[in-house]
Order: sequence, then C-alpha cells, then structure tokens
Amino acid sequence: MTITLDTSPPIMPDSEPALPCGPAIYFDGTCSARHEVQVEAARTGLRIIARRPLGRVLDEWDYADLRRMSAPDGVLRLSRCGETLLARLEIRDPDLTNAIEDRAETLDRGGAGERRLRRKIVALSFAACVSLLVTAVYGVPALTTRLVPFVPVSVERKLGEAVNRNVYAALDSQHLGSAFICGRDTGELEGRAALDKLVGKLAAAAELPVALRVDVVRRAEPNAVALPGGRIYVDQGLIDQAQAPDELAGVLAHEMGHVAARDGTRVVLQTAGLSFLFGMMLGDFVGGGAVVIAAKTVLKSSYSRRVESAADAYSVALMQKAGGDPHALGRILARIVVGKRHGLAILRDHPETKDRIAAINAVDVSTPPAPLLDATEWNALKQICAPLPPKDASGGKVK
Amino acid sequence: MTAAEASIASADAVQFLGKETAYWRLRIKGAALLMLTLGLYRFWFATDVRRFLWCNTEIAGDTLEYTGIATELLVGFLLAIAILVPLYTTFAIGALELTARAPIVVVAGLITVALLGEFALYRARRYRLTRTVFRGVQFDQHGAAWRYALYALLWWSLAVVTLGLAYPWAQASLQRFKMERTCYGDLAGAFAGTGVALFLRGLPLWLAVVGPIVFAFFALGALIDWNTLNTAVTQGDQATLAFIETSSGFRRGVGIAFLCGAIAALAAVLLYPLFQAISLRWWISGLRFGDVAVRSRLKTGQVYRVYLRFLLYIFLLMLATALAGGICLFAVSELVGPRHDSTLAELLATIITVGLYVVIALGASTVHQVVVTFSLWRLGLQSAEVTGAEALNSVRAAGAPSSALGEGLADALGVGGI
Repeated sequence: MTITLDTSPPIMPDSEPALPCGPAIYFDGTCSARHEVQVEAARTGLRIIARRPLGRVLDEWDYADLRRMSAPDGVLRLSRCGETLLARLEIRDPDLTNAIEDRAETLDRGGAGERRLRRKIVALSFAACVSLLVTAVYGVPALTTRLVPFVPVSVERKLGEAVNRNVYAALDSQHLGSAFICGRDTGELEGRAALDKLVGKLAAAAELPVALRVDVVRRAEPNAVALPGGRIYVDQGLIDQAQAPDELAGVLAHEMGHVAARDGTRVVLQTAGLSFLFGMMLGDFVGGGAVVIAAKTVLKSSYSRRVESAADAYSVALMQKAGGDPHALGRILARIVVGKRHGLAILRDHPETKDRIAAINAVDVSTPPAPLLDATEWNALKQICAPLPPKDASGGKVK
Repeated sequence: MTAAEASIASADAVQFLGKETAYWRLRIKGAALLMLTLGLYRFWFATDVRRFLWCNTEIAGDTLEYTGIATELLVGFLLAIAILVPLYTTFAIGALELTARAPIVVVAGLITVALLGEFALYRARRYRLTRTVFRGVQFDQHGAAWRYALYALLWWSLAVVTLGLAYPWAQASLQRFKMERTCYGDLAGAFAGTGVALFLRGLPLWLAVVGPIVFAFFALGALIDWNTLNTAVTQGDQATLAFIETSSGFRRGVGIAFLCGAIAALAAVLLYPLFQAISLRWWISGLRFGDVAVRSRLKTGQVYRVYLRFLLYIFLLMLATALAGGICLFAVSELVGPRHDSTLAELLATIITVGLYVVIALGASTVHQVVVTFSLWRLGLQSAEVTGAEALNSVRAAGAPSSALGEGLADALGVGGI
C-alpha cells in the first residue's frame, strides 16, 4: 500500500485523543533515513510516533530540551539538546507548530529573544568602537610617551639605521648616491666645519642622550628631518633660505628637540599601536580600509601637531641656553611658508604657522643674543653644497 | 514510493527556495550594521547569511542546515590574532635585526602568510562542512591542512609561471584533494572533473586574452631596435626623445602593443562571464558522493544576464550615491559656510567623503553578493541534475564538529569564501 504524505488522514492514537498532533518528518541523527511520523504535543514533551507500522513510539522529547534550528519559511525544525545532537524533527503543520510553541518556552517564538540579543551585540560592538577610538586619540599618545623612556638607546639606534635606509632612498630621488650629502668635497670642507661648530654649540647646551649626526643633503625643499637615533638631515633649500646663522640654528634646535624627546621612536610605537587597534580589531569589511586609513591619517596628524609644538618650545629654550636668538626660528618659518598653500587643517602634521610664530615670539629674550657663527663661518656654511660637476650625460641634470 | 522519492531522479532534485528580496534585506541590514560597528558585526552577519543560504538549499526534498554559531567565529578570530600577532612581530624584529638580509625576511614572511592563507581556507572549509547538517547527518572533512597549503602554493606558483596554462590542472588537483577528503556521514566524496576537460574548454578564452599580450611582446621585440634605444637612454632624455621621434619602428611597435593590450582587456571583460559559466559547470559536474553524481545544465546566457544586471545595478548605485553625497556636501557648506577654515567643516567634509566611499564600496559589494554570488548559487543549484540520490537515504552518521580557527585565520588574513 502506498500512503503519500499529503493525502493520509491524521492518525489519532486512542489513549489521549484531545492532544494536538500532526504529521512531521523525523531524522534520528544516526542515519539519514527519512521517517514520516506523527507528532503528539503531550503535557511534558513531544511524542514521536511511527506511522508505518502505526503507533510505535520512536522517541520522546521534553519541551525544556527543544531547540529551534534554522529552517526555510514555514518549517519548524527542532533539535533536542542532549546525546543525539543531530536528530531533527521537521514540522510543516501550522496548528501543530503553534501548539508546540505554546508549550515550549525555549523556542523563542517570533524570534524576540534573538532580536534582543542582536541589539545587545550591536550596541556592545558600537561601544567597543567608541572605546577603541577614544583609546586611539588619548590612550596611544599617553602610553607611548611613557613607553619611550624604556626603549634602550641601542634599540633606537638600530631602528634609526633601518629607518635611515628607507628615508635616504626616498630623499635621494635623483639617485646621487654618496654625492647626495654636501660637505664632503674639498671646496665644501669649510662649510662642513662651520656646520660642525654650530651643531657643537647647540649640542653642548642640549646634553642629548645620543650622539648627533647632522648632514646637509642636496634637496631644493626648505626642510629638515630628524630620524630615531640622532640623525638629522638638513635640506640644501633650507640653507639657501636662511638669512642668518641663528635661523638655521633655530631649525636645528627644533629637530634636536625631536631627538631629545625621542619622537622618532615615539612615531614608530604610535604607528604600531594604531595599526594594531585599527588593522587587527576594526575595519575588516569592504570599504573599511578607507575608514582605517582616514582615521589613522587624522590621528597621526593630531599626534604630530602636539609633538611639533613641543619641539618649537624646546628650540626656543635651547637657543636661549646657547646664547642665540630664539625668535630667529619664527622668522625663517614665516619666510618659508609664505605663498605656500596648505590642505585640510585636520590633515596637517604641523600646527598653523602663525600660531607657531606667535608662540615662539611670546617668549621674552632677556639677554641680547649674539650670532652663533661669525660672518666668514656663515658664508662658508652657505656654500656647503658646491654645484656638482656635470659628470656624464645621465648625471648632468642636477641644478 | 513516496512523493519525495519519486522526485529524486528528475531534474528538480536540487532547488533553491529562498526569495531574492529576503536576501537583499539580509545583506543591506548587515552592511549597515557593519558600518555602524566598524566591522565587528561580521561574525553574526556571516552566520546569518550562511543560515539563509543553507536552509533554503533543498536536495531531494530536504533542506540543508547550518549549525554554526557566531561566537565560534569570534573565538576563531581571537585565536587567529593570538597566532598572527607574535608571528608578525617576529618578522618585524627579524627585518630590523637582520638588516642586511631584510629582503629575505620579507620574502619568507610573504611565503608564510601565503601558506597560512591556504591553510586557513582548508580549515575554514572543514568548519563549514562540519556545521552542515542534512537529514540529521553532518558533513566532514579530514586530511592535514598543512599538506593542502603546501600543495596549493606549489600548484598556484606553477599556474602563474605558465601564464595560467596550468590553472585547469591546479584546480582539478586541488578540488580532488578537497573532495576526496570530504564525506557526508559514511558516504565518501570524490571529484570527477579533469584538468584536460577544463583546459580544452578554457583554451579559446586563454588564447583570446593572453594571445594578444604574447603577440605584443613579439611585436615590440621585432619592430624596435633595442640596441639603439639602449644607447639613446644612456645618453639622456634628449637622445631618448630624438630616438622616439625618428624611429618609425618604435612608434609602430608601441602602437601595436597598445592595440593588443586593449584587445586583451576587452576580451577579458567580455569573456569573464563565459569563464565563470565554464568553471561552475565543470565544478558542479565533477562533484560525487558515493554513487550520487551531479551534472550541471547551467546555460552560459544565464550567467551573462547575471553580469549585465550587475552592471545596471552598479550604475544605479553610483548615481544614487553621487546625488546623496552632493546634497550632503552642499548642506554642510551651507551650514558652516562662511567660516571656511573651521576644523568642524573640514572634519564633516572628510567624514562625508569617507562615508560616501564606504557606502559605494560596501554597496557595490552588497550588489555583487546578491546579484552575482547569490544568483550564481541559485542558478548552480537549479541547473544541477542529480543521479543516484537513493544513496542519500541510508547514510550512517560520522564525524564531529571542528574548531573555527581556520575561519578566524581566513578572516584575519582577508581570505575566505562565503
């Protein structure tokens, strides 16, 4: 005899005729065989009854043990927590589904419990994001400031060497090699001596923990950069723009401020911290990369602005100590920045120039300053970068 | 014979029951929550998506079930972080310490990450299979993930070296590796697709895309007087320019190379859906579980329609975002207008710009997931013909759930599938 699922009449067992019941499909969790069964919603649990042969009870599931599993629309798929994890009961009959949901509290009717849980997860995740952002804005700089003193000088020097290799290659965009550094040729030695004297005066006043290595490089930009480990590169463009030795000394003192505060190491630690916070924990979705890059850039600029203000203050103090003119830094800053257009303020890594100059000029000069180099020395220093001889066809593009 | 058993031999033994609108809802809601939580919601999102796809996939009258839990994925991710952070740190320190050999350290690091990526893919597949239940019996995958990772890396390197000619054999071999270690209860999986079959179907496509590029190289080699060009380059920019202006061979060579490049790019775009159709058909038709065999009747035209629809939706998305972004930026400039240098206006403008980018990127990904991935999933299922499905009626249960480490690694490394 063939009984199809749809046409068979509901089979009512004789013993408890009032109980809600209906057809279902049962998988016992040990074999993939499909059992067409009759399910009865008894008082304490579901009774699973075989249809062929009729009446044999296959299993009984307590309401407290029932779990709702994911299923297509219109199907109630149940599992039972306990020994046979994979046994399943699939019910398509809406009346029976209702009756079971009435009796079993664990089934989370309508999914309200699940929705509550999801809302909680979203709220907590959002809170975690805010907390990470606050940590990035305030925690990372505070932590790195306290960590930097514990980084041994030897580690900083090693770090400086690694950074130097990349920075040198990036600065030396014309691939001049060793000719990139000024003050090495015979005509440039006097300028080198003047530079050493200027640096020596400042270093004597500064008492830095690391040995300084200052070099002038053939770059047209009016700029200077300090690397971890005490290396400073001054661009030729800055020497060209400087009108007095104390202006150059002010910039040097600013860079020495970075060395003294070990800002290079601090930047490395900050970058690592930010990368960990944003790269690992957050932003792992399509388009998230942009959020991470934008957040990192804005945050790094804000760290950098604080550090630059500190270096300006250091420069002013050091120039006073060395007997030079602390306001000279402000004058060269004003000259360099004139006519330069800046992008967004939040992305700038230095504070607004007029604010910097105002802060520098706010300091009183008690003793009348004396130039740190005399006129002959300053003239020699101005010519530390002699024009390169046009060596061959490919190297002749310099200047 | 019951109704369910009667349908087994027919073509609609495999079906997809889910509605596309429901999947759109799921995806859009998930994308919004991803943005709100900067991606932390992804574990719950992935679980929801899989539940939907699995439980709407019907085979021989019964649907699959995904039993994975989101917190398992979260734990897997944390485990992966615990492994990757010391590893990355070690490589960073190694690159700093061995300054002279830093490139070697970097290459070693890249190979390790590539291996870990394949390892993660294999283990993530195991996690998904052990969380897939059909008729009260779960799927499983065994075999060492490290062996697979090594094997996969070698095959993909070979595929790259041969300009893609070895790709069919790499696919066939890796699919065999995976399917022969896959089982449904006590029913062992296998893969019947061969590299030769895929190669023969893919060869015209390869010729259309890679052929012009190879031809371009030959044209450049034959038409340009390389010796003269070399001497001109060493003499500086002026000499190089003079050479370019006078040499007709150079101009012809570069012209042909550009034309060939354009033809190759056009062919790649136009033939991509065909490639997808060929691959999908080949893969589905190769799947075996014991006596159960699958054959795909997927039509190439259907796949082209999928991609055309994708292009249309992307166009609409761009239009809508451009409009919304324009209105937002205009509103901000009106509100904070006179104070042009105010930090607040800049911050708002930056947030809007980044936000727009995220909306476009996440939106495009959502459109791709629904219009392409979901449609191909559905088409793949609906076009599948199953023979020997009776074998699915008496499978004995075996296997146990595995850890989600692979999923976590795949997530942290940015690899992984659904």
